[in-house]
Amino acid sequence: MSDFDTIIHQPTRLRIMAALNALGEESQMEFGALRDLLEVTDGNLATHLRKLEDAGYVRITKTFVGRRPRTYVAITPTGRAAFAQHVQALQEILG
Amino acid sequence: MSTVTPEEAREALEAVRTTARQVQRTLANGGAAYYLFVWGTVWLLGFGSTYFLGATSPLSGIIWLVLDVLGVAASFLIGWRMSQRVRSRVGVRVGLFWLAWLVYAALIVQFAQPTTGNQLSLLLSLFAMMGYVTSGLLFDSRFLVVVGLIVTVFIIAGYLFAPAIFNLWMAMLGGGSLLAAGAYIQRAWR
Repeated sequence: MSDFDTIIHQPTRLRIMAALNALGEESQMEFGALRDLLEVTDGNLATHLRKLEDAGYVRITKTFVGRRPRTYVAITPTGRAAFAQHVQALQEILG
Repeated sequence: MSTVTPEEAREALEAVRTTARQVQRTLANGGAAYYLFVWGTVWLLGFGSTYFLGATSPLSGIIWLVLDVLGVAASFLIGWRMSQRVRSRVGVRVGLFWLAWLVYAALIVQFAQPTTGNQLSLLLSLFAMMGYVTSGLLFDSRFLVVVGLIVTVFIIAGYLFAPAIFNLWMAMLGGGSLLAAGAYIQRAWR
């Protein structure tokens, strides 16, 4: 039986992980792009990202493009493995 | 263990699939609508001016040059903006693909030396559609492949069966198809 991950299972966090997992290796998504994709507010996204970061599932990088601050989010290898196990657990529930 | 019902699990998996599909579209087709708008407009104005001014008109040549420079500049700008939103190896590869395409297109036109205006239009537009189809195949964008194939059929049909109005044909059907494809993406892939 695969591990069911209560951190990932929250709907917004599940979609965050699904989006970052679909990006592929060594890819990052800008905070605003992720917010637009998921159609959530800045505050909501930031809160969920913090939980995922605390769990070691995502890596958040702050940088500057010109003078503008940018925040990029990427899934970590730990996060990718946890997401895969969680999806498998969901599939096992369905049989 | 969890208290997740099969219905909740099904909904969660559907959310995963939908989100992943949205990201794939963003990656594979990111900015595609804007590129299609830019190059559809370039074709509409460029081929339109060639038809109304004549293929040998120096003004038509200048218009094409200006439109191409603007089109390439706009494409780089779109690519740069997209790369600020998603940083991925795929994005870099797409950019390098089109850069290589641009260099080879310039070299082929320089050395192939088509003898008529229609042949030049045919060569360039077929080469552009080859770029659409091959990039669509490489980067998993079925939509670009379909658009490329449809416009290719229009190009060849116009060259063979409507040579007298080939440039007008290209402006309306070639440029029009690219604009329509851009509008479709904008509307359907929100």
